[in-house]
Amino acid sequence: MTQDNTLSPGQARAPGPSVADTLNADRQPPPSPLLKSQYDFLGDEDIPFERYTCSEFFQKEMQLLWPKAWQWACREEHVPDVGDTYVYDIGPYSIIIVRSSSEKIDAFLNSCTHRGTRILAAEGSGYSPAFTCPFHGWSWELDGAIRNIPGRWDFPHVSEESHALQKVNCECWGGFIFINMDPHAKPLADYLDVLPEHFQHFPLERRRIKLHVQKTLPANWKAAQEAFMEAYHNFETHDSPNGGNTQYDIFGKYVSRFIHNIGNYSPESLADYHGEKFRKPPMTEDELLAFLGVYGLDSGTVPEGETARALVAQELRKYFGKLLGVDFAQVSECLMLDSIEYHLFPNMFFFPGINIPMAYRFRPNGEDVDSSIFDLLILEPLAEGVGHPEPPDPVVLDVDQSYTEVEGISWLGPVYDEDTGNLAMQTKGFKTSRKHGLTLGNYQEARIRRVHLTLKEFLSHENSLD
Amino acid sequence: MDAKDYHKVAQADALPQGKTLCVELAGREILLCHTSEGVFAVDNLCSHAAARLCEGRLKGHRILCPLHGAAFDVRDGSVLTRPASVALVTYSVRVDEEGIAILLQQSGGAACHKSP
Repeated sequence: MTQDNTLSPGQARAPGPSVADTLNADRQPPPSPLLKSQYDFLGDEDIPFERYTCSEFFQKEMQLLWPKAWQWACREEHVPDVGDTYVYDIGPYSIIIVRSSSEKIDAFLNSCTHRGTRILAAEGSGYSPAFTCPFHGWSWELDGAIRNIPGRWDFPHVSEESHALQKVNCECWGGFIFINMDPHAKPLADYLDVLPEHFQHFPLERRRIKLHVQKTLPANWKAAQEAFMEAYHNFETHDSPNGGNTQYDIFGKYVSRFIHNIGNYSPESLADYHGEKFRKPPMTEDELLAFLGVYGLDSGTVPEGETARALVAQELRKYFGKLLGVDFAQVSECLMLDSIEYHLFPNMFFFPGINIPMAYRFRPNGEDVDSSIFDLLILEPLAEGVGHPEPPDPVVLDVDQSYTEVEGISWLGPVYDEDTGNLAMQTKGFKTSRKHGLTLGNYQEARIRRVHLTLKEFLSHENSLD
Repeated sequence: MDAKDYHKVAQADALPQGKTLCVELAGREILLCHTSEGVFAVDNLCSHAAARLCEGRLKGHRILCPLHGAAFDVRDGSVLTRPASVALVTYSVRVDEEGIAILLQQSGGAACHKSP
């Protein structure tokens, strides 16, 4: 395919119908934020491989990114009652989140103010009516105030001001509890940008964790999350026709989005992909319906004048309506079916969809530059008036385990195996290449570039993050 | 095992799922824990610093010590989280129409007296 040289960089798009064309043709119009599009060309320079492989760069992130970035630590339903705790680890840091009163959630560095010992040992949910260091027994109230210091006579130099637990910023949005270790951090709202406005149409606080899978991945945290930031890989990695015409949006420095349609696709968008699959001839509506049988729906024949997309959306409205006790009758095809993925800098993803209802978090695996931890939550809508049940403990998978081993993950198991299956090879390739860095598409991979630009600002101490 | 070796300690309806109940039998405090997999019984004193686990919290299959946050799997008493390092003693449990009964023959774990 020839390139149109009359276009400025970033202006070119896949041939054929766009995501907006599909959404405008759907029977149930989507909430207005899903009809917006926002993109600016951000440059086309290669991203240095050393950002993924170099220990010095990793240490810089540990000093200038993670202690200063907002990041979700857990969900509010992890700490429903006073004394409930959740320990969140990031690199060498550890933070205790605690329901300190019925109205308040606090967060503290997980470190004794006496000789520094971690107060709570393991990541995850727990319970403490008060905090007691296992070393010498110093203890604190749930709000961090000193409760007792054994042998107090020997510490005249210790006061509430100097030795209360060290506070960490803590705010909630969408049912997630976010922390920021930087005492001078700007409010979370400054980082969330369009998220509160967009997600008022699909409130994540009214969801429950159906499944939490935590897997070690053989790649730097950025490479791992970047495998999920574009749908350009769908054809090759997933043998899927969807993704060639995906819409990508950049909402400021911290938030980006993609939307790719399920239940239809654009054969034109695949015009210069290898082979003739999905193109010559294009899939029929019946074939598309059969393709979506992965959702456990009966395939069959799409009636005249009907589309596979509309048919499957309707089936899913019925299926999930019955399963969850939620009325989806007026919910758009887009929300029922499509992969709608919002990213929040540096490492968080939120999906408002019903059939694709995830949240992701990618973080360094301890202090290893070459591996990461991928937390995958399936967030199921709650029926009106129903409270949050106790969240399940994470299913922990080692680097060599398959997602198909996870009970209840259904059709997503093989998909995540495919998504994560390239990462070890990519890490090896980073270290082999004679090239300086990786090359990104101007449009389809712009979200990756946006993250790197914002990361660069954090690491440069720039104060232009307003 | 003969049925007479089991000692009834509570009515079944005294222990809803997700809750714990501390009972005393032969001079020992034993904690009954009702999880989604049934009722389990472990020693009520944490194997680390002897805090009473009935003052902690049952989350899923984990009993959480209120003092230092140690966690144990109530199904087999195993340690899940430091600072504990010794498993809890567990007891066989039988639940029937007569109530909840415990076999007073400990399995797993060990009594623990430590010094550095």
